[in-house]
Amino acid sequence: MNCYESAICQKIKTMVAESENYIDLLYAAPCIYTRNILLYQLKTKMNEINFLSGMICCQVNQIQASPTELPQQNQQNQRNITLQELAKFNGKDGNLAYVSVIGVVYDVTNNAAWAAASHFGLTAGKDLTSEFASCHACQPILSKLKIVGKLV
Amino acid sequence: MSADIKQIKNSWEVGLMSTTKTCPEYTARFQTASDLFIKVRDEIKRGSLVKKNLVWLELTGCSGNIISLLDGANPDFKYLISQMTDFVYDNSLMAAEGEKAMEQLMDITNKEYILAVEGAVATKNNGLYNIIGRWKGETVTALKAITMLGEKAAHVIALGACATHGGVSAARPNPAGCVSVQSVLNRKVIKLPGCPCHPDWFLGTLAHILLYGEPALDSRDRPLLFYSTLIHDRCPKRSFFDKGIFAKKLGESTCMFKLGCRGPVTRIDCPIRKWNQYVNWPIEDNTPCIGCAQFGFPDQMEPFITYNTTREV
Repeated sequence: MNCYESAICQKIKTMVAESENYIDLLYAAPCIYTRNILLYQLKTKMNEINFLSGMICCQVNQIQASPTELPQQNQQNQRNITLQELAKFNGKDGNLAYVSVIGVVYDVTNNAAWAAASHFGLTAGKDLTSEFASCHACQPILSKLKIVGKLV
Repeated sequence: MSADIKQIKNSWEVGLMSTTKTCPEYTARFQTASDLFIKVRDEIKRGSLVKKNLVWLELTGCSGNIISLLDGANPDFKYLISQMTDFVYDNSLMAAEGEKAMEQLMDITNKEYILAVEGAVATKNNGLYNIIGRWKGETVTALKAITMLGEKAAHVIALGACATHGGVSAARPNPAGCVSVQSVLNRKVIKLPGCPCHPDWFLGTLAHILLYGEPALDSRDRPLLFYSTLIHDRCPKRSFFDKGIFAKKLGESTCMFKLGCRGPVTRIDCPIRKWNQYVNWPIEDNTPCIGCAQFGFPDQMEPFITYNTTREV
């Protein structure tokens, strides 16, 4: 990667962080007009990201980069994990911290909201499908986490 | 406009953005309470702002919020009770006692007033676990007082963890059946969670009400003036988190994520405003945030400290 491409990558990373901030603001914004402004800004940011990513990956076919491909990429590093195995990944004593939601196991070891492998009274190493549904249903936050496997 | 902001603006205009000056967002947000207070003071001097009655009701709590308020600087407590509002009732500080004090509280229901509430509402046995006084020979429970005064108030401001969501009073096993103020009132309650509430959060909200009415609130009725960003987003140790440099014990100056810091889930402006009249705050003193300004504190923020995250066995 030359320095021109890495500068663009850096810019894209910044813009993704900005977009995430807009999403967080959307949750906090009480007024529909503020939300609409935020949505517009988010849309603009997406367009800019799309434009910049087009500059560095013009060889890559658009279809290949479509979201439908992403699960397949993830499947490469997926493995089957039982509830018993999951319990070992409790984030204690140097272990990694994993949680599972709807059959997918995610790594939350370095997720900011999971300090010391706990989150609002919940601890890592467990299947938290129902807890997730009661607090974060419809929030696009799982996509930010690294997938490590499938709960079997 | 303050001198600092003017200076920053000037440096922009000549294209010389300073790298040593404080970020304008920090400067502006640091001054929210003082800016509002200066406006209130000017309007009071001009005679264009009418003083309103303020009732401070203490329910099931520890009096921590009124003690915190005594530390307020924008304005100080004396100005608050003498110039800015008619401070009608507070059980800890008022001169009157017993029936005479209750008389002042009961008289207010015929007038317009702003109600500040600290402490949770004990509901078990019809509120019998917390009696705040006697009126005409009958006991007045906290539950009765809040339902009566809460419905008639022009604004209700719940301060502190207990009043906003139950907090410490409602922590397991919650023997008195404590609930938040909102749980017993069918009306808008402005919520200022924190254990205790910072004087600026209350005084700024009150000044905003006096000047412009209710401030903009988020989806959980917290004023966006103060509760708009996570501690993690403005944390002075954020660069350590981003680089993965973590403290293993208290007192280390790096990120306390592995010790269980709740800054990433706590939405409040402590990193900018700090405490004890803007001197310091826990994270800057190398102890983790325990999430006292977040809903669910304390039960959902436990454990407050964890040492075995990184310890390898």
